[in-house]
Amino acid sequence: MDSDIIIKLNKVNFYYGQSRALTDITMNFRKNKVSALIGPSGCGKSTLLRLLNRMNDLIDGTRVEGEILFEEKNIYAQNVDPVEIRRKIGMVFQKPNPFPKTIYNNISYGPKLTGIGVEDMDTLVEQSLKRAVLWDEVKDILNKSAMNLSGGQQQRLCIARALAMKPDILLMDEPTSALDPISTAKIEELIEELKKNYTIIIVTHNMQQAARISDETAFFYLGNLVEYNKTEKIFTNPDVKHTEDYITGRFG
Amino acid sequence: MNRHTKEIIIKYVFFTFSLVSIVVLGLIVFSLFREGLPIFGKVSVKDFLLGMEWYPTYDPPSFGIFPLIIGSLIVTIMATSIAVPLGVMAAIYISEIAPQGIKEILKSVIELLAGLPSVVLGFFGMVVVAPWLQDTFDLPTGLNIINASMILAIMAIPTISSISEDALYAVPREFKEASYALGATKFETITRVIIPSALSGISTAVMLGMARAIGETMVVLMVAGGAAAIPEGLFDSVRPMPASIAAEMGEAPFRSAHYQALFAIGIVLFFLTLAFNLIADYVSHKFRQIGSGTL
Repeated sequence: MDSDIIIKLNKVNFYYGQSRALTDITMNFRKNKVSALIGPSGCGKSTLLRLLNRMNDLIDGTRVEGEILFEEKNIYAQNVDPVEIRRKIGMVFQKPNPFPKTIYNNISYGPKLTGIGVEDMDTLVEQSLKRAVLWDEVKDILNKSAMNLSGGQQQRLCIARALAMKPDILLMDEPTSALDPISTAKIEELIEELKKNYTIIIVTHNMQQAARISDETAFFYLGNLVEYNKTEKIFTNPDVKHTEDYITGRFG
Repeated sequence: MNRHTKEIIIKYVFFTFSLVSIVVLGLIVFSLFREGLPIFGKVSVKDFLLGMEWYPTYDPPSFGIFPLIIGSLIVTIMATSIAVPLGVMAAIYISEIAPQGIKEILKSVIELLAGLPSVVLGFFGMVVVAPWLQDTFDLPTGLNIINASMILAIMAIPTISSISEDALYAVPREFKEASYALGATKFETITRVIIPSALSGISTAVMLGMARAIGETMVVLMVAGGAAAIPEGLFDSVRPMPASIAAEMGEAPFRSAHYQALFAIGIVLFFLTLAFNLIADYVSHKFRQIGSGTL
């Protein structure tokens, strides 16, 4: 097994009640890379992303088969606490969702749960906001409500909030779909920067975005993994005809 | 008739109907004041509100309603302190924790509780709770503050619970997901994200529950004991304002001083419930948190 593989999916099937949303997914995510999941709506890409930090547990009537190995441990094993998994695998959502609290408290929310001291907290808040390239914009208004920020700032705040937990992996579920082009560009730059320290798995509807920022791209269709390869390869010379049709916009 | 005229007619029909309720309310308030205000020609406002003696049928009568106000306040406060924890916790359990099946059952049971006629609850207080209190604590009477507060609490719980529940449901799903994704447990998510976000709605629920308790008549008439004196302990009887009005109106001669004094009590009650509603309205605006990720 390659040492740079951080997540390994082995014959994963996923069901919402009776209907199967993912079929026999076997794939590996590599450390410190940006992996993009693309495909038309309802293809299961977001479902797959939410499987990786056990967010689908929160939905009633779901069922997982197969195994998902994170650092060679099955995160769906009986004795695994989803809370622990979510602390190591952070998530950024489609719509910016800061808490209706101050900017400072948004960042400190997660670390406080783990019982970190207050002196370290100021440093941690600063560090996290700097990593998310938001510090300069908000350093004077840390005690103002996060709701006063613009959409793009809110989304970077959400990234900073996830980074404050010092996760190994950052899952991003269409993080720019609700943002304007300038904010989108900022987030994309940020992702470029973050991949030095984090593994990033991003779901996107925007194929140009996948082409711009990702190292590897997986194409999903109707719950199946159609093709998974180097981004360059997928976008220039895909092995599967179906992938090419999607990328060139013949369907989607 | 063309479309435009129809629109205008429809508009005025609806306007008229909505006007009816406002006019009726206005007329009620007007008559309340017309019948009640003359008492203040005989007693000063201060003596009326702060007077310690309520002997409306003596000669000369005394119209001090302070013991009645205290009676109302004490049962309301006691009832609220019982009903708020129960109602809010029930709402949290129903909206956040309970599995679907239990949720449905609990919701309909609480709605059923809201539909119980107050006279039935009062009767229950009289024939079940009162004798039990009397025997257990060796009291002269089981019709007292504790009994009335418990029964009023049962009446206020559905109000508090269902309004709190709506407030909890209104907390955006995104907040909960964000919290879980940061490794919060269910309990941490409830206490640190969901309750703070729903606080304005929960406060409104509490204020409306109190308004319900303070205006409730049948229960306090039946189980509060009816003593128009300042209570010395929680096992004493009291005579809240609505109970006085209900008990005495029948025997007060039309437009006598007693009759006017009872209407004046109605005015005091009117202002108290108005105050509760205004506070509830203020609280719900003041603490309203801005929704999720407004772009």
